[in-house]
Amino acid sequence: MPKVPYLKLTLASLAIGAVISVLMLQYDWMGDAASTAAGPIDTLLDWMIVLSSFTFSVVCVFLAYALYRFRVKPGDEGDGLPIHGNTRLEVIWTLIPTVIVLFAGGYSWIVLDEVESKEADPLIVNVYSQQFAWTFGYPGEGNKWSEGEFHVPVDRQVVFKMNAQDVIHSFWVPEWRIKQDNVPGITTDAVITPDREGTFQLVCTELCGAGHATMRATVVVESEQKFNKWLKGLDDTVPEGLYLTADQAIDLQKQIQKNSGGIDGSGIEQTGRKNVTSS
Amino acid sequence: MAHALKEPGWYRAALGTVIGAAFGFFLVVGLRLLAGLDAFQTEQTGYPQLVVPLITAPFGFLIGFGAFDYWFRWAAGKPTVPDDHSGHGATRWQDYFTFNTDHKVIGIQYIVTTFFFFFIGGVLALLIRAELAQPGTQVLDANLYNGVFSTHAVVMIFLFIIPMFAGIANYVLPIMIGAPDMAFPRLNALSFWLLPIAGLIFLGSFLAPGGSFDAGWTGYAPLSTGAPVGQSFFNIGVQFAGASSIATAINFLVTIITMRAPGMNLWRMPLLVWANLSTSLLVVGATPFIAGVQFMVFFDRIMGMNFFQFLEGGNVLSYQHIFWFYSHPAVYIMMLPGFGIISEVIATHARKPVFGYRLMALALLGIVVLAYSVWAHHMFVAGMFSWLRVPIMITTLLIAVPTGIKIFSWLGTLFYGKIHTYSTAMLFSLGFIVTFTVGGISGVMLGLVPLDIHMSDTYFVVAHIHFVLFGGSVFTIFAGIYHWFPKMTGRMYDERLGRVHFWGTMIGTWGTFIPQHWIGLDGMPRRVVDYATQYGDWNLVISVFSLVLGLAQLVFLYNMVVSWKWGPKAGDNPWRSKTIEWLVSSPPPTFNFDEIPRVVGGPYEYGTPGARHAIMGGEDAETSVPEPKPSTVAAPS
Amino acid sequence: MESASITATGQATTDDHHHHGPPAYHQSARIDQTVLGILLFILSEIMLFASFFAAYFFIRVVTGPETWPPPGVELPVLIAGINTVVLISSSFTVHYALEAIRKDNHDGLKLGLVLTWLLGATFLFIQINEYIHIGFTPRDGAFGSIFFSLTGLHGAHVFVGLLLLTFATVRAFRGHFGPAHKDHLGVEVPGIYWHFVDIMWIIVFASIYIL
Repeated sequence: MPKVPYLKLTLASLAIGAVISVLMLQYDWMGDAASTAAGPIDTLLDWMIVLSSFTFSVVCVFLAYALYRFRVKPGDEGDGLPIHGNTRLEVIWTLIPTVIVLFAGGYSWIVLDEVESKEADPLIVNVYSQQFAWTFGYPGEGNKWSEGEFHVPVDRQVVFKMNAQDVIHSFWVPEWRIKQDNVPGITTDAVITPDREGTFQLVCTELCGAGHATMRATVVVESEQKFNKWLKGLDDTVPEGLYLTADQAIDLQKQIQKNSGGIDGSGIEQTGRKNVTSS
Repeated sequence: MAHALKEPGWYRAALGTVIGAAFGFFLVVGLRLLAGLDAFQTEQTGYPQLVVPLITAPFGFLIGFGAFDYWFRWAAGKPTVPDDHSGHGATRWQDYFTFNTDHKVIGIQYIVTTFFFFFIGGVLALLIRAELAQPGTQVLDANLYNGVFSTHAVVMIFLFIIPMFAGIANYVLPIMIGAPDMAFPRLNALSFWLLPIAGLIFLGSFLAPGGSFDAGWTGYAPLSTGAPVGQSFFNIGVQFAGASSIATAINFLVTIITMRAPGMNLWRMPLLVWANLSTSLLVVGATPFIAGVQFMVFFDRIMGMNFFQFLEGGNVLSYQHIFWFYSHPAVYIMMLPGFGIISEVIATHARKPVFGYRLMALALLGIVVLAYSVWAHHMFVAGMFSWLRVPIMITTLLIAVPTGIKIFSWLGTLFYGKIHTYSTAMLFSLGFIVTFTVGGISGVMLGLVPLDIHMSDTYFVVAHIHFVLFGGSVFTIFAGIYHWFPKMTGRMYDERLGRVHFWGTMIGTWGTFIPQHWIGLDGMPRRVVDYATQYGDWNLVISVFSLVLGLAQLVFLYNMVVSWKWGPKAGDNPWRSKTIEWLVSSPPPTFNFDEIPRVVGGPYEYGTPGARHAIMGGEDAETSVPEPKPSTVAAPS
Repeated sequence: MESASITATGQATTDDHHHHGPPAYHQSARIDQTVLGILLFILSEIMLFASFFAAYFFIRVVTGPETWPPPGVELPVLIAGINTVVLISSSFTVHYALEAIRKDNHDGLKLGLVLTWLLGATFLFIQINEYIHIGFTPRDGAFGSIFFSLTGLHGAHVFVGLLLLTFATVRAFRGHFGPAHKDHLGVEVPGIYWHFVDIMWIIVFASIYIL
């Protein structure tokens, strides 16, 4: 049996994997970060980039070597060696990937718990999505309303409570790394602590009809003072035609009555209905 | 003419289609008038006068075409017409347009039809890329764009990848296991003819009032339950495609279990057979779920039911659970047969036994089992039960293990082999290994909940599925087509054009789909007709490469058509392969064998002098080979 | 020539009499192809029912209305219970028919099939009657959707089962079928399907009417 320099190949894979990793880590793939969740998530991505680089490099190096070394010579009608397998090797390439993916899974679980951990006294923002617009309510701050734009203070945890009015929409601010579908009939929520001031875009990421691509809203993260000032300027009348809760939506449908508005705290948390939420 | 209308065939099929459509139409109108309603109903989710004929006309077509003639006679207890086999096999091109029960004819019918739909789906893809080449809307308006990408996905999934594998296996698998035909030849023919029907329904939806179905191929409720009537075309088309798929899977399972040649026990089956066995288990178990969920959407739309109407007590998320319980296994339905093809191609063209054959087979079964337990990884941000996320993440990650085993085993097969890289089939297999590895890696990333929260519904997902389905499934399809082309046609294709096709496809695939990872991570959502200007440059690059990808397929088309007609004769076994399909003539005779071959060894005994997989009938002189023991392998059932 | 070589391998098979297709294949499993086919088909049918049961689970348990069935809805459990007895007894009659033909008792076969058919038709008749008098429609809330789609899906299967039984009955009266296994597959296969329809009804009945 012709000798194959397995050790050299392995070292070459590792070296090339290291080079790819270093190159790939030079770039911020997920763009600017603006929330406390971004740190752990970006680090997890970096880990995955490194693991992936090595995996890809192992496959490519061994494939390239095989093609270089075991390519048939012109006119050679012969067969390769009748090797049917190697139990030790097969065990190795079953176990190593198992360990790697379980490590990735365990690490992800830790990150998930970290980014979803709740702090005391968060700011509650209600999110109402409909084809093709966003409305935001601040139940704890005098039941204020804003359409197409919302502000949050920096460095304070925000809990978004989301309710879709017609079809499924999805709430995503790429800089925050957090995404959550808004589902008709249930309230879903997302926990975010913005840690950088600035103006961002809220993107709808669940296909919701012809206007899906342009269903955006403006997100402003600012200091506590500016936020309070902005909040003061808002109206406290409920925008027309919103179903504030699933129960209310049903009432609206059944009684065909106009939305009376002014429901205290817009009631999302006080429904008697069983809600599936995402945390 | 009157005679032509009585005999099964195209004239009677046309008549049957008209009668079927008229029956459905007048049934609806009549019942509505009886109930005191307007004859027509034109709510956008309704149009029963259009939708019901859509169900009845195909049955009229099939009855007219002769799909049920035998069964009707049998059911009525009349003497069934003994086949004189004159309708079996194909001697002229017209024979491919009949209700032919020969598995090889059906295989060709499948392959040609699905390539036809591949080119339609490809044109739709290029339309999408034309629109996305620049920010803003230039080519398609938002509604049409949504319809185009939904139809692109549906055509590629239900009318190209899934049935293409059924077609290749239809041709090759019975010969591989030493069977004269499939277990249920008439059901096999019916499965095929359901497909063009499904395809016409999907494409016909562009003519429906309100345009084509535009809720994505996933058709999430309640967007789909309130969509214009084109969505009902999707609901109905999926039933035909799904029925075809289930019937084929049952056929494969019964064929594999009951019709193997003497001596072919489970551990002597070629891996393509193992792959189709695994795939069929997935199809039989999972496909009914998409049938069920599309029925529910259809009932919500047409009959005013409330499965997904939250105002009436329905549950919106149940759509996604039921849908993905099919549609995630569907990804493996679109991948496992490809794994089988790659194993055949690599073993043959590297002249070496598949490394770790048993583990390869067990890995397939492992994927089947795990495939049923990962559906909810499409729903990490959907608002489902949060406790379900981590268990589903673990099972999702574990699927990487059997998949990795397959990749490494193929690499192991190459070592100490004699790799024939000049063959296009082998080139596509090697390209598959590299490309699919990338798709697998991005799949692992998407399986991690914290990363998925950021990546789901972005272009990263688009890049991932195209690396898996184009770099995976479609590469394996090309590998299989090039590998068995000499067997199916008796002629050799042009390897030079094959290489042009391979490199065009490889460059096109990487150029198109690699940048999509980047813009997706950076924040571009999927399924958008317009996007932020910062992604304009990369989208232009993607669109240019997609054109390369599209043009490369024209080379393939030219190569196949010209070689089929004028290519040099290939001989029976141009690759000097060991499996049974290469031991018969090219193309194989009707019913494949005069005598059923005897299997005396494993399928990949390369490099062992004198080792054989099978002994064909008429070779009785070779008594030196030990007689195989009578098959003692009990069926798994 | 052909059969000779196959006999040499020890497992000769002959085509069953209404199978005029390809030449003899080597039978690699003891189970009959048609029986295996119908069992796999039933597996996929079970999964179709399972998808509707999944919808039922989500609507009843996950969405979780306070009352189930909704206020004002009274399901006719007694009539449905009688209907259940009717359908279950038809499983015994179809089994009797099969046992009869195994013993070459053609009169027993006909009697069993006709009885089964009548019981099945009675079930369907009572079911349709129940639909008419039940007092709510498929449009009435998610409960209506689940009730009518699950019982209706099952009813459609009873209808298909009746069609298959009709074929078998017609053929029985024309003198088909015999005691050899391959000669009464036309009874056995519809029978297997019919047993499946019956068992599925027990599950549907239990989950819709009783739970």
